[in-house]
Amino acid sequence: MPEDSFETGVAVGERWARTDGRAKVRGELLYAADQPARPCLDVAIHRSTWPHARLVSVDTTDARAMDGVVAVVTGADLHAVLGERMLTGPAFADQPCLAYDKVRYVGEPIAAVIGYGPAAVRRAAEEIDVAYADLEPIHDVDAAIAGTAFVHDELRPSAVFGDLRHLRGKKDTNVNYEYTLRHGNSGAAAETAAHTTSGDFWCPPTHHVPIELPFTAAWPEGDRIEVLSTTQTPSYVRQTLADLLDLPLNRVRVRCAPLGGSFGAKMYDRLEPLAAALAWTQRTAVRIAVTREEAFLLTTRHGAAVTGSMASDEAGDIVAAEADVRYDTGAYADVGPRITAKSGMIANGPYRIANATVRSRCVYTNKPSAGPFRGFGVPQVTWAHESLIDELARARDEDPAAFRRRNLLREGDVAVMGTTMHSADFISCLDAVTGAVGWDAPLEPAAGRLRRGRGVAVGIKAVLTPTISNATLQLNQDGSATLLISTVDMGQGSDTIMAQIAAEVLCLGEGQVRVVTADTDVTPYDTITAGSRSTYHTGNAVRLAAEKMRDRLIGLAAGRLSVETTDIKLTSDGVVSTQTQETLTVPDLLLGHFGARGTTLTTEADFATSWAPYDKETGRSPQVTEHWFAGAAAVQLIVDTATGRVHIEHLAVAGDVGRAINPALVEQQLTGAAVMGIGHALFDELVFDEGQITNGTLLDYQLPSIKDMPDRITPIVIQSPHRSGPFGAKGVGETAIIPLAPAISNAVRDAIGIRFTRLPLTPERIITALAEQHTEGGTA
Amino acid sequence: MAVFHRPGTLGEACALMAERGDAMVYGGGTAVQILEKQGVLFASDLVDISGIPGLANIEETSSGVRIGPMTTLRAVETSPLVRRVTPLAARVYGHVANPRVRNTASVGGNLAHGDYRLDPPTALLVLDATVELTSSGGTRTVPLREFFVDFQRTAVRPGEIITAVEIPRQDEAAGSWFAKLSSLSANDWPCASAAALVTGGRRFGRVARRIRLGLGAVAPTPVFTQVEVAADAGADEAVDAARQAAEPLIDPIPDVRGGVAFKRHLALVAVEEAVRLSWEERSDARGFFRDRRRRR
Amino acid sequence: MSATIEPTVNGVRRRLTVEDDDLLLDVLRQIGRTSVREGCGVGACGACTVLVSGRSVSSCLARAIRYDQAEITTADGLPEDDDVIEAFVEAGAMQCGYCIPGFVLMSHELLAENPQPSREEIADHLEGNICRCGTYPEILAAIESAARRRSQSGVPIGETT
Repeated sequence: MPEDSFETGVAVGERWARTDGRAKVRGELLYAADQPARPCLDVAIHRSTWPHARLVSVDTTDARAMDGVVAVVTGADLHAVLGERMLTGPAFADQPCLAYDKVRYVGEPIAAVIGYGPAAVRRAAEEIDVAYADLEPIHDVDAAIAGTAFVHDELRPSAVFGDLRHLRGKKDTNVNYEYTLRHGNSGAAAETAAHTTSGDFWCPPTHHVPIELPFTAAWPEGDRIEVLSTTQTPSYVRQTLADLLDLPLNRVRVRCAPLGGSFGAKMYDRLEPLAAALAWTQRTAVRIAVTREEAFLLTTRHGAAVTGSMASDEAGDIVAAEADVRYDTGAYADVGPRITAKSGMIANGPYRIANATVRSRCVYTNKPSAGPFRGFGVPQVTWAHESLIDELARARDEDPAAFRRRNLLREGDVAVMGTTMHSADFISCLDAVTGAVGWDAPLEPAAGRLRRGRGVAVGIKAVLTPTISNATLQLNQDGSATLLISTVDMGQGSDTIMAQIAAEVLCLGEGQVRVVTADTDVTPYDTITAGSRSTYHTGNAVRLAAEKMRDRLIGLAAGRLSVETTDIKLTSDGVVSTQTQETLTVPDLLLGHFGARGTTLTTEADFATSWAPYDKETGRSPQVTEHWFAGAAAVQLIVDTATGRVHIEHLAVAGDVGRAINPALVEQQLTGAAVMGIGHALFDELVFDEGQITNGTLLDYQLPSIKDMPDRITPIVIQSPHRSGPFGAKGVGETAIIPLAPAISNAVRDAIGIRFTRLPLTPERIITALAEQHTEGGTA
Repeated sequence: MAVFHRPGTLGEACALMAERGDAMVYGGGTAVQILEKQGVLFASDLVDISGIPGLANIEETSSGVRIGPMTTLRAVETSPLVRRVTPLAARVYGHVANPRVRNTASVGGNLAHGDYRLDPPTALLVLDATVELTSSGGTRTVPLREFFVDFQRTAVRPGEIITAVEIPRQDEAAGSWFAKLSSLSANDWPCASAAALVTGGRRFGRVARRIRLGLGAVAPTPVFTQVEVAADAGADEAVDAARQAAEPLIDPIPDVRGGVAFKRHLALVAVEEAVRLSWEERSDARGFFRDRRRRR
Repeated sequence: MSATIEPTVNGVRRRLTVEDDDLLLDVLRQIGRTSVREGCGVGACGACTVLVSGRSVSSCLARAIRYDQAEITTADGLPEDDDVIEAFVEAGAMQCGYCIPGFVLMSHELLAENPQPSREEIADHLEGNICRCGTYPEILAAIESAARRRSQSGVPIGETT
């Protein structure tokens, strides 16, 4: 639906400036490490140099004797006090903040030095002497499944999740979770298919690299612990720290600040358990500010292998699809099991598929733990299904866009995992991006050693379900509003979006709603700020709180004006009686109600989504998610066959956002995710050698710069309103990254006739493949 | 932690360099700070030469330009004098890292760092630059072509400080080009780079032309070679000759930017691009390439 | 070894005692200039950019002791009506905002040297600044807008920094 076809309100659909835009440009916005905090001791961490080893001894004698050192704390020290509570994690309670029995990856924290000044503690940390007994390291995800060495002696699912309980205590495996989907009989269907494509695909581990480094400060405050941290998940962290220190929730305070980017890097258990454990056991204030090199060790994006196939009948209907997905979750499960299921269930793509099978496994290896990353495991499976369907179209000699178009899921269709599609307009996304790049116009061949090509891909993702958001709204007597939520603005613009939603209901103007930064002492529970869930979930909570506020104002006005509530309307001028046209401004109404200036009227609301668990046999569910994200990307690019470099001429991305609360911010999320996706497609990759990251500095780890931008980038907002979204809206943070890499790869396929199955498409891969194509006589 | 010294004269600096065990010159500091941060700086003393007057000058000499060691890379890149006397050098200095690093990194430190991937050595090799080294024992001059002795090792002896780089005047009629090819993000370190300078032999004359080539990132040190080609040869012929001359020097170090075979391939692509464009520029009477180059 | 330096920071002369290995980044943050930020520690991301006499410097690679008497500008010290800041705000050239002060300062340096840069020249100048949120299109638009306005208002080169 075009932007202007919606009923115009005062705030929703407007391109309001970010609430904090000017402060950000001026450099005046305070991030976590800039916030005033009490004087803290510095912490440096001694890290494992082995990927897999038993800890024989940890000698801290020399470190303790050094200038400026106040204390040295080992994993064994904390374990003696905290016991098994020391093991934390969102899906599995398997990660200690300091290793105490064995180390499971190079860089794992073993001991912490507390003292005066970063330089002093860092020097002391180097003086800690650890003796290791080597264990067989597991570097590869498939070797981990097949092998006899195990990262964990037994599985430890978190007590929180009932559906993981059956895994408790399971031994002799590196597979910590497995999801299977069975819909029809894909094997039999594939046998009689007219065309089949298959492949082994690989997405390497990558890193989020938000430019703001992780930071946590913690201190005891009497019988309470206070934490200031870079986190997307303050409510989760509060619960984790309460469990860790065995405290009631009201004795744990987690404060946030706006994040300098995150993309999934700053959530669940990062620095917070260690900072809190040190502060609490040592009864002192500590701050942990890690270097960029250390940040690479805190979390990564799952490397993933997908063995997949797709088959169509003569008519061009997809009759079978299969996917065997293996996520490398590293040494600790983090949220990997959730990723394994949520992404596994859509591993065949957003298509009408008669028979489908998925096996998706989450696998431990001796690498830094992998966790959530923009897309939550979906880009990895999309890489496979969007490559497969492209080849299937080519096998049928059909235009890849047209073939997709015929087979894409439509409104009301039941997808292979059993859930009905709504507000997921893949067709419009596909048509918009192909239209933007001139898909149907003849491709002008490039000169000399250059080859030009076009490619397209679509992507589907389910919003994390079930989750909960709360909102507390205070309408101040002067007519301004203060909104309390625990959603964290990390650049996606949630503060602005939530202000617009509240303003729309209350007829307020730009700048009249202030959003309070998350602080668990003040702002109410919110599951997480992640997975593009905030606009829908927190947005609904905010809308509900604002509607309650509107109703209260109307009630007050009806009393004051002695008319029925149905005769009162809230407008930008205040409350108006539709009978008498009498108007009362909100300040006057509240002054009259309270009899005092500066008072506040408070409302609150919560919003929760629910799901139906997967069927144990089939993995299907009639309500696996609250809503869907639908997106598409189309690319025109040039491959230099001498250098192997890819130059993107035009990149178009589209996402169905239900309704754009703020079209400018939506477009920015679409282009921003696309730019990140360009990196993943072409060069962004964590490289390991025997478990050691070899490119863990920004001198070697490559991120897209302004010079990697396409000549042209076109974000397109598709709006197919969601029946229960706030004003029809859904989120958008991840949508564009999902189809990006396969769209680029499909265009490379179009340009040079080579199908790539491993990311990224580095010049080396392209040159090597071109050389093989040459020796094989022109086909690949 | 290394002791930091801030001498005010060259004599004091030389004395410190001579007296201290593992003293290292601290120039712009960009490379040294990174080494220190990574825990691989093994100097006992750092001798900061930024307070010594006269070390950041660019002067025209009878034979070319003389550049002081504390001159920033960006000062070389933007110097009207360098642009006039040796445009290839100015251009190549403008390719290093990013403008912010070039504002701080120094000409002397850049060479002393000895990194095989650096851009400036490729140009300085083809331009036959020399490096002046000063110690308490006196001053000596080393041709740049003898300066890089091994992986991250240069001809600078303990106690010596680079006190100047001298670049001979570039033949005005020469054709030149610098090709820098990266394999990851566009602004990454080069995966292969080549500077070429084509001199001598007018288009239809009998005198042969000389192609000089400086290569970066494709061997443990920056490397140099040269080859003569008949002036009436076509660009393809010149490229073939240059590729043949370059090939034996290519000895890549595999890393995240590529394996040996790919780097070998890319090195030859860089050679081809640099030689083809400089050959054509030398052959071109209208100065078309000169205009095009200025726009880059 | 400590020493006293007297740089001028955003027009205010400061007298600061620094250790000889203190980084300019840390010293500036200690005096409240938190628009200067560490992102990579190796000069590759630009979050720690400051201007020294109008020239960009990675303060994460700069020893403070060398900046005695230096004229240092940080983004938060730019004038209230700074034209580059206005252009960034109007173009919506920010997402998380962490890297943006660095881009603002780089843009000032660029426009002082080259008042009418082409897209390619803008990219050449900003290639060492990373915006992980991918705000590059808006940043480009902001700089082009600032350049256009300067040319229209006839502001002499370099007089607005």
